[in-house]
Amino acid sequence: MTAIAAATADVVVVGGGIIGCAIVWQLAQRLPRTARIVLIDRGPIAGATSGSCMGHLMVTPDDAQEYAFSHASVQLWRELQDQQGGFDYNPTGALYLADDPADIALFANLQAQFVACGDRAEILDQQQLRELEPGLAHDLPGALFYPGDGVVLPMTACGAMLRAAQTAGPRVDVLPYTPLTSVLREGDRITGVVTPTGPISSPNIVLACGVWTPEVGALAGLPKLPIVPRAGNLAITAHHASPIRTQLLEISYLRFAHGAATVDPTLIGADQGGHAVNMQPQSLGGCLIGSTRQFRGMNRELNHELLHRALLRAARYAPGLLDLPIVRTWVGLRPFSLDKHPLIGPWPLLRGLWIAAGHEGLGISLAPITGQLIAQQMLGLPCSIDHRPYLPARVVA
Amino acid sequence: MSGARVLEAQVGIVGAGPGGMAAALHLARAGITVVLLDEGFRAGGQIYRQLPEGYDAGHRISEPPSHRAGNHLLDAVARERIRIVHGATVWNARPGQIYYEQNNESWLLACEQIVLAPGAYDRCVPFPGWTLPGVITAGAAQVMVRGFAVAPGQRALVCGTGPLLLPTVTALASAGVKVVAALEAAPRSAMWAALRGVIGNGARMREALFYARSLLRRGIRLQWGASVFAADGDGRVQSALIGKLDQQGAPRPETARRIEVDVICAGFGLVPAIELGLLLSCAARYDAPRGGHCLVVDEQQRTSVDSVYAVGEIVGIGGAEVAMAEGRVAGAAIAARLTSVSFDPRLALHARSERRAADAMLRAFQLRPGLFSICKPDTVVCRCEDVTSSQAAAAGELYGRTTRGIKMGCRAGMGPCQARICGLNLHDIFCDGVEPDLPVAQVPVKPVRTATMIDVPRR
Repeated sequence: MTAIAAATADVVVVGGGIIGCAIVWQLAQRLPRTARIVLIDRGPIAGATSGSCMGHLMVTPDDAQEYAFSHASVQLWRELQDQQGGFDYNPTGALYLADDPADIALFANLQAQFVACGDRAEILDQQQLRELEPGLAHDLPGALFYPGDGVVLPMTACGAMLRAAQTAGPRVDVLPYTPLTSVLREGDRITGVVTPTGPISSPNIVLACGVWTPEVGALAGLPKLPIVPRAGNLAITAHHASPIRTQLLEISYLRFAHGAATVDPTLIGADQGGHAVNMQPQSLGGCLIGSTRQFRGMNRELNHELLHRALLRAARYAPGLLDLPIVRTWVGLRPFSLDKHPLIGPWPLLRGLWIAAGHEGLGISLAPITGQLIAQQMLGLPCSIDHRPYLPARVVA
Repeated sequence: MSGARVLEAQVGIVGAGPGGMAAALHLARAGITVVLLDEGFRAGGQIYRQLPEGYDAGHRISEPPSHRAGNHLLDAVARERIRIVHGATVWNARPGQIYYEQNNESWLLACEQIVLAPGAYDRCVPFPGWTLPGVITAGAAQVMVRGFAVAPGQRALVCGTGPLLLPTVTALASAGVKVVAALEAAPRSAMWAALRGVIGNGARMREALFYARSLLRRGIRLQWGASVFAADGDGRVQSALIGKLDQQGAPRPETARRIEVDVICAGFGLVPAIELGLLLSCAARYDAPRGGHCLVVDEQQRTSVDSVYAVGEIVGIGGAEVAMAEGRVAGAAIAARLTSVSFDPRLALHARSERRAADAMLRAFQLRPGLFSICKPDTVVCRCEDVTSSQAAAAGELYGRTTRGIKMGCRAGMGPCQARICGLNLHDIFCDGVEPDLPVAQVPVKPVRTATMIDVPRR
């Protein structure tokens, strides 16, 4: 597993987060045994956003395209669980909650969206909610339950994808602590990368660097890619009995998260930040609590005020949380794409350069389908869903 | 949510052990208001731990001569009516503000200057069976004997390394525990090196003599270059496998023998408790002989953050005498800042000479790399997350051979202790050739209730 042994490759994936690992996994399933895939990262695997995020597998029924995109990815997660496991996969479903009368009306809207996509979701009354989640506040008016969502532990999922890739056939070299120092090109095509331990010649490079993709893209001579960090503050409890068994989401999350942004994301300091509860039961009995959102550059200091509000809100829904010990809090950076869709596919002006980044808070959920779309496009195979909305060509000025 | 629970003082001190108390005393005598925050029920810290108030153990636990200084300090602190908040878990701090939980209430200590004297954590090298009930750290043995007059068992094995083993042996013995074996992992040459280091330091010489006599009187022989290899038992410790170590500190299996014990007290040194300092953005550096990452201070015990001082173990393991001397320095330095008294440089000279003696001792007792081979593939290395040695090794192989890579690959170090127990072991066992990652300080530095974090007193 040295850089010398991997001095030539068919693909070099830059970035050992969930997106890069999913690409390696999906490529390895499709490339011949003689092929070589190299993954490099400047730090450890899962050392950045994928090591500091929540693990929501989320089906989004906004429209048929979004549904197909997210649903296909959650299916692939199930396949990885069957094939490899080891990442605390838990198909809890998702409970959408509200306590505001205006928000309660959204249950029926969201249910209708799932139905329109040919799926189902169930509106629970107060009694049914109490039976499903006895630990929730007893005055809640009800909830919407969608059975198709799940929870994973993203850090160990990265390793599961890499291990699945290493047993798939092609040679897979994983090189943590190996930064990209420059990109080799001849005319309008990629010929390799340079790292401190030597060059690796390769006809294909995939940039899967999350919020750092613009910075790494600049090494390949790309214009500034439209991805900005969006910070989230998180907290996790000790391994006591979690007050919840199902993943919880405040339904107001939908108008606040992912694509939604009420301020100019590029103006640092303009965003006061917002929050909507997302709580996930963890495999060892802990409870992970998010989610806040704020555009404030690469700053990874805790925003105590925002986290304070998020915890207060979480305790409104699950009062038992108040007595549970918090073990730690931290900040992760979501890669927010300015036009609200991830960039997945070839960079049209440089042959062999591929981009997979900008998934905001859905990177974990959408990683497998992202990996699959990159692999299918690179090998000229038909794509499993319509890939065109995500092509990076749209941001070429 | 009253938000009214705020204490105010000119100086807030974290830790009422020898360092914190010495600083407090100096400040109080200069007319400066001080509040000491401490996790324990009573002042004294780990080393001068006192029985709960009004508690009669019915027998006397023998005290080494150095404890006289501790008793004087405790008396003086009581006479000055220095305010000590007991049972306080400090969970967050920034310059001028210390947040703590006491009796399930959220408190803020607002202060101009901060002195960090939080002490250290026990270190235990993982060995097969070390998670069995009945295996405790040397520190835990001291807590049980000195803090509660409770004997942790009837037949004890004391093992590990460093100057703390002797007080553990005498504490156990004076509580009526039969010490079946006392094993020091360092080679006998360490004893001579340590003795050379303390020559000329009268107090330390007297201390060494006290322990030598104490062991001799009880017929306990300290075996050098020996260690526990494994603990065994059905549901709790019933026996231990012990033996000699080779030149590199690795176990020599042919010397292994089994002894019947019901408690194993293991102390493989101490690790400085630096997390509050990191949270305050104080500079730290890695210093293996001093126990790991330590805060960097100047000759007046000031950290890289102007209003934050650090004394004792947080600057590097050194023991009570060092902590006391440095506490006086910090107290005098802050007093000079806040009043018209000038700083007496002799205090700093004295602290430096105590530190030198301690450093000499520590260098002699450094863990030898071979010792880590007592940890077997199926031995648990991270107790919070239940991660075995082979799982941690596999994680390092794929994710990167650093404590951070291992953590990402198998969650070792992510539990309630936040790698305080396993961090250095993970580094020393799996991350050859790289300096350990500086721990990341995250709020809360010790687990506190969600309600405590929500109900933060404001100013």
